[in-house]
Amino acid sequence: MPGADRGLPRPSDIVVTGLGAVTPFGWGVNALWEGARRGISAVGPFTRFDASRHRTHLAAQVPAGDDGKERSRRLSVADGFAVASAREAVAAARLDLDLCRERTGVFFGSSAGGMLEGEWFFEAHIHRGTRHARRGLVASQQFNGPGDAVARVIGVSGQVETISSACASAAMAIGNALRALRRGDVDVALAGGSDALCQLTYAGFNALRSVDEGPSRPFRKDRMGLSLGEGAGVLVLESAEHARRRGATPIAILAGEASTCDAHHMTAPHPDGSGASSAIRLALLDAGVSPDDVDFVNAHGTGTPLNDAAEAAALKAVFGDRARSLPVTSTKALIGHLLGSAGAVEAVVTALGLLFREVHPMPDTGTLDPELGLDLVLGAPRVLPRAFCAISTSLAFGGANSALVFARHETA
Amino acid sequence: MTRAAAVLTGLGVVGAHGMGRASLRAALLAGRPLASEVDRSAGYHAGDSSRLAALVPSLDLARWLPPAEARRLSVPSRFAVAAARMALEDAGIASLEGRRVAVVLATAFGALLFTEKLVRQILDEGPEAAQPFYFSECVANAAAARVAIALGARGANVTITQREAGPLLALARGAQEVREGRADLAIAGSADEMTGLLHALLDRFRGTARAVGVREEAARPFDAARNGVLAGEGASVVVIEREDDATARGARSLARVAVSGAAFDATAPVSDWGEGEAALARALRAALERAGKGVETIDRIVSSASGARRGDRLEAATLAAAWGASPLPPVVTPKAVVGEFGGGLLASAVLAVEGAPFGRLSAFETRDPSLGVAPHDGGPLAAPNRVLITALAAGGAASWAVLERP
Repeated sequence: MPGADRGLPRPSDIVVTGLGAVTPFGWGVNALWEGARRGISAVGPFTRFDASRHRTHLAAQVPAGDDGKERSRRLSVADGFAVASAREAVAAARLDLDLCRERTGVFFGSSAGGMLEGEWFFEAHIHRGTRHARRGLVASQQFNGPGDAVARVIGVSGQVETISSACASAAMAIGNALRALRRGDVDVALAGGSDALCQLTYAGFNALRSVDEGPSRPFRKDRMGLSLGEGAGVLVLESAEHARRRGATPIAILAGEASTCDAHHMTAPHPDGSGASSAIRLALLDAGVSPDDVDFVNAHGTGTPLNDAAEAAALKAVFGDRARSLPVTSTKALIGHLLGSAGAVEAVVTALGLLFREVHPMPDTGTLDPELGLDLVLGAPRVLPRAFCAISTSLAFGGANSALVFARHETA
Repeated sequence: MTRAAAVLTGLGVVGAHGMGRASLRAALLAGRPLASEVDRSAGYHAGDSSRLAALVPSLDLARWLPPAEARRLSVPSRFAVAAARMALEDAGIASLEGRRVAVVLATAFGALLFTEKLVRQILDEGPEAAQPFYFSECVANAAAARVAIALGARGANVTITQREAGPLLALARGAQEVREGRADLAIAGSADEMTGLLHALLDRFRGTARAVGVREEAARPFDAARNGVLAGEGASVVVIEREDDATARGARSLARVAVSGAAFDATAPVSDWGEGEAALARALRAALERAGKGVETIDRIVSSASGARRGDRLEAATLAAAWGASPLPPVVTPKAVVGEFGGGLLASAVLAVEGAPFGRLSAFETRDPSLGVAPHDGGPLAAPNRVLITALAAGGAASWAVLERP
């Protein structure tokens, strides 16, 4: 999609026709978008497990929802989020799967799968003996649990593929879906990710001293780490031509993607951000747009000192002086870090930002970090005079970087 | 988008047979399961559980992985890094300098031993006891990241977690990276470890083979008396390049990646196989036909049949539906020897393309008349031109690939 043509997709361009989300703001895309626009963090005390013995005590938990029907199918918590999000996205896209079941694929990301239930299994094994550790608790413990659950419950029989590349899982899965659609491997893709809070990730990030004792403050001078969250996001993707033929209304264009690796360290990004900047540049190239076409950035923005510094360096490397006036937000400042599903939920709000020509804010708390030199969207939504193109970045353990480029669909 | 043929130019493999292609080739010819006793001392196993798995023996990996480097790595990461370096040497590549290199690895369960240790620390000793080292190595993408760090691979770094279907999805993604011009070279494959816990869980799901009466515990693909798989571990890694690049540097091509396909059987329960052979067969045929390779062009099948009761039925029914009235080519079932998980299937398929002989499976006794397919009887076979590899996963995922002689 050349820059000159942005907003006027070619039939082969891949468009987003449905969105679904389950987040700490509630069940559904409306709850996510309204919560994001308010700019108030959902991070707080939580009950998903007993956190009293952990170093920190806050997280962003999905509120109880009308998920009884899904739970009766013996789904894990993460599976339930995934299935609910997929149902919403399919309904929003008005997709009749009976017409395309065998040509629809599921491309999913998950970092922990059903680890929460796996921990319940261990708890029973350790404290009450093997006989009391129900095998059903680990049946969905696998990384592929959420994606498989979507395919099984929705009834999809095209390609199903789960990526578990830590915090870049869902963004890579969405990129994977884009490639599969372009190649013609599938006609429709349900792409996204799901993860639930669990003790392993909570204690693990705490062991790395990567968790802020308060709500995370991405890109602020006094940032002390991330906040963990949970949830799922799903996008229905198809070619513009396929959408047109079935009368679907595109929400946005998924214009490009790219992945790279720092090849530097297991848990720390390369400080110069070169891996991340390379992913962004390649994704823009893939989309056929230039850095000047980008109107806002939904950053990985975890709130850890190292990540935010490396990401700011990457943005400066790509956008030059324009990085100082390019609106940057981080959804993680509101709902925490959703790990393997972060890229999916952030893709949802990035697409909505283009649709509504508005960037959601981060809470206006903390001290500005002049060294980062970014134009942060704080306190209130930023209305955009133009909203043609946006990027969403995901930077993971092991140095895996992923960037997605979305463009506004002018008929949306 | 650049389109070019993708070829395999190197293979590295670590498994119950040892290290490298020679030991794997010998094991496949012998046809005997590479089974050894699993440590059941942790108390996860029931008294009547299965006892065997295809475990990697104590190996001196030092040539591929210096001990100081190995100490920082989980077992799957060790296997993967060693196999990746082995594959590069096999490909005749001494340096990756200046090349865009993608790493695509599959793992079914990740670094389970470290995961178990970390969860036990958290639950037993309290969350403050959690060691960061275990956490950073128990993420599923640790092995792929370790390979990238070890080799300086800065292209896409992707970890696919689709159980038994993962290795072929990784092969497909690796081939796509080079075919579509995003990478000059891809390191693709899979790595897994078999822990006592995982073995016990597979057993509790009735996934592993058990001894019955006088019949010894063994995986018996397509056998009437099959009752489970031989769990395994290891790593298989291939080097993928564009065919013209490989030719230009005078590299030997092991196989060309001719077809990739995938589907999902939504009738499958979470941890078993379903009954959706009709749809799977349509997907398989469509994948072959999209690449211009009909079933009649396939002259060998390297099957993922593993001895699983329902899995082998689905495999046989899918092949039967895909081939219709046409006879199936010879079918080999390496998982009976190298085990399920750990990438033995992919490495065996590469050897199959090279013309490696597959011996009669020692554990196979009675053909299941309801399946219409049986493992190759060990007789001599001409080297195949085009090998179909199948991978049907418990839970519903399916993937296929065709490797052809270059």
